Amino acid sequence: MIEYIIMIITIIGAIVTILQRDLLKAAVVSGITGACIAFLYEILLAPDVALTQAIVGAAIVPAFFALAIKKTKRTDD
Amino acid sequence: MVMDIQLASLFTAGALIIIGLYAAIFLDNIVKKVIGLNFIEDGANLFLIALGYKFGGVVPIYLPGMSRSWFYANSAYPLPHALVLTSIVIGASTLAVMLALVMVLYKKYHTLSTKVILGEDHE
Repeated sequence: MIEYIIMIITIIGAIVTILQRDLLKAAVVSGITGACIAFLYEILLAPDVALTQAIVGAAIVPAFFALAIKKTKRTDD
Repeated sequence: MVMDIQLASLFTAGALIIIGLYAAIFLDNIVKKVIGLNFIEDGANLFLIALGYKFGGVVPIYLPGMSRSWFYANSAYPLPHALVLTSIVIGASTLAVMLALVMVLYKKYHTLSTKVILGEDHE
């Protein structure tokens, strides 16, 4: 039952990321999607991929987006 | 009827690819387009991992005490795991290159809007 809840949180997180006006909030919410995909890899019997995705998808990718937004403009207009 | 977890994972991958394509094609901000491309990559990786899943199977690590024929019949398929592990890291590095190009575009045009950069904003 928990796996279906994680899939629904993944899709809802992606939609909320796309609909966000503030780009920094969009970066943080895309981190939620990456973490839920890491849990989904663990459920799908791939724990090594889950470790890599948990680091890359939940920490490094939002950090890259935050650095790029800091160098450019934050609001979406 | 309860849905199979493999089929539900494939639907999740398809939904992620569709959301990413929508963001990459129809949104105006260029950072949002890069976020959409990142979602497409996540969906493709999830599709490959979900293809290798086996219902009621075990993690593909051979432990002493398992018989070899039972392990071949019951473990998940480990080849997509090795390839997706590489694909995640390459995706992060290509994302860094894309964001560097976005920063160069902002330094040249002082905007993030695609219409202004392409010169389609006549008003």
